[in-house]
Amino acid sequence: MKVTFRIRRFNPEKDSKPWWGEYTLDNVDPIDRVLELLHRVKWEQDGTLTLRRSCAHGVCGSDAMRINGVNRLACKMLVKTLGAGDHIKVQVEPILGLPVIKDLVVDMEPFFDHYRAVMPYFMPKEHVPADGRERLQSPADRERFDDTTKCILCACCTTSCPSFWANGKYVGPAAIVQAHRFIFDTRDGAAAQRLNILAEPDGVWRCRTIFNCTPACPREIEVTRAIGEVKLAIQRGV
Amino acid sequence: MATIVTTVTEVLRYRGKIGQWSWVFHRVSGLGIVLFVCLHVVDTSWAAFYPDLYKQAIAEYQSPLFTIGEFFLVAAVVYHAINGYRIIVLDRRPHLWHLQQRAAVLVFVVVGIILIPVFVLMFGHVLDYYDTDPEFVSIAEIAETQAQFAIGFVVIVGAALILSFLQAIINGENISDPIPGMRRASQLDIWFWKFMRVSGLLILPLVFGHLAMMHVIMGVFDITAAGGDVIGTDLVNQSGSAVEFVGDRWNFLVAGVAVWRLYDGALLGLIVLHGFYGLRLVVNDYAHNRVVNRALNWAIVFGAAGLILVGSAALFAGVENTAEALLQNIVARS
Repeated sequence: MKVTFRIRRFNPEKDSKPWWGEYTLDNVDPIDRVLELLHRVKWEQDGTLTLRRSCAHGVCGSDAMRINGVNRLACKMLVKTLGAGDHIKVQVEPILGLPVIKDLVVDMEPFFDHYRAVMPYFMPKEHVPADGRERLQSPADRERFDDTTKCILCACCTTSCPSFWANGKYVGPAAIVQAHRFIFDTRDGAAAQRLNILAEPDGVWRCRTIFNCTPACPREIEVTRAIGEVKLAIQRGV
Repeated sequence: MATIVTTVTEVLRYRGKIGQWSWVFHRVSGLGIVLFVCLHVVDTSWAAFYPDLYKQAIAEYQSPLFTIGEFFLVAAVVYHAINGYRIIVLDRRPHLWHLQQRAAVLVFVVVGIILIPVFVLMFGHVLDYYDTDPEFVSIAEIAETQAQFAIGFVVIVGAALILSFLQAIINGENISDPIPGMRRASQLDIWFWKFMRVSGLLILPLVFGHLAMMHVIMGVFDITAAGGDVIGTDLVNQSGSAVEFVGDRWNFLVAGVAVWRLYDGALLGLIVLHGFYGLRLVVNDYAHNRVVNRALNWAIVFGAAGLILVGSAALFAGVENTAEALLQNIVARS
């Protein structure tokens, strides 16, 4: 089968504004992934195409991009899911809301700034557990935040959010998911601090429950639900 | 401000699910309602202070242009109310998130089911009125009156911008600065987040009652029907004047209490606070420049306070030429 790519290109050293490049690939296997096909464009047609990827297996979260209008990981998208027939058209562009460095590569620093802002690390209640050994937790308590441990920081959710497009200061769904993971962990002692940070004007209140983030998550995290739980925790406590 | 263009174009380009459209409709309907409330509170206060202006305003409301607007207004209120209810439920029960798409569709269906009979009844009033071969206020006249409102908006926002600019000079701020980044968590934000939900629930029956009385059971056209019943009272609009209609309602007592003044007062306070805080949320999403953001926030506070003041002043002052007074006038003249 044949695939025609329409890719948003931008080279800050040459281009005054972004443009669309078209590339047609033959002999495509329906179960090829978009990432493999982007590699083929780069290797066979235009070596200047720039994209970011590392593990290529949906674990590292480096190849988030907008594919046919929705944020996806290129390495998890089988091309056959993007259309029917012998000739599929695929549109690829960088995720929105973060500065484009080149082609599909965006500057993730503002995203990681928000991530760091919620203190995404374990802050124990007591320095050493009572018995001096493990910090025990019941399976039910572990279950409470199981969903939000799955985040790989790919930014698919944050850059699908119209509130984030409108205001890059909004801490964003990913950072709230990361905070949720610690806020609802019974072993963690800094929930109040984190909730205080997220109660700021650029914290959870900028979420308007648009629900773009939830279907954008390649890890199927219930993102909007996590944000809703943090909103309630700010009002009622954990 | 640039991000408002990005948001509008990208909402159209991003293939989000229905929740994205619920949000768009919620915002657009909310903004439309706030705009109308501004006009409506000011011109209803004229019933108390400038009766002739009020008659003119009602005459304009009876013109075809406003009749079209009336259908949009009712649709906006119904959508905003029902979708607001969906938002409240999902805010209280985040674990129901998997039902949100069905809920969003259900909102559109329920709004449709409510609007069909409502529009049929409203259209009936329009047809009844058009059967009487009425004379309409000309477009030029409407433009003239509404231009005054537009000038008013421009003056308020302009004055706020100038004051905010002066404040920037006094504080020695750089006028191209964005609003400060991380700010302290404020109890006010949390309070207003809750207020938006609680007030939404309280407004729901009040506004549906108001719409049912003024737009569905009777139409805007019946306000000026001589000998027509004044809805919500046992009185009759003798003179067929819009001012008498308002006066009859406001002076109608149940067990010594002016129930419609209380009703309108509650509606006024809740809607203005709810609407203008919503406006503030929209402004804070898109106005990032410190001077502009502060100016718009001032304009919002001033606008909300001004509307509540004007509206309550009219409610307290009341309307004097009730049926009785008008009758006495007619008797005295003959």
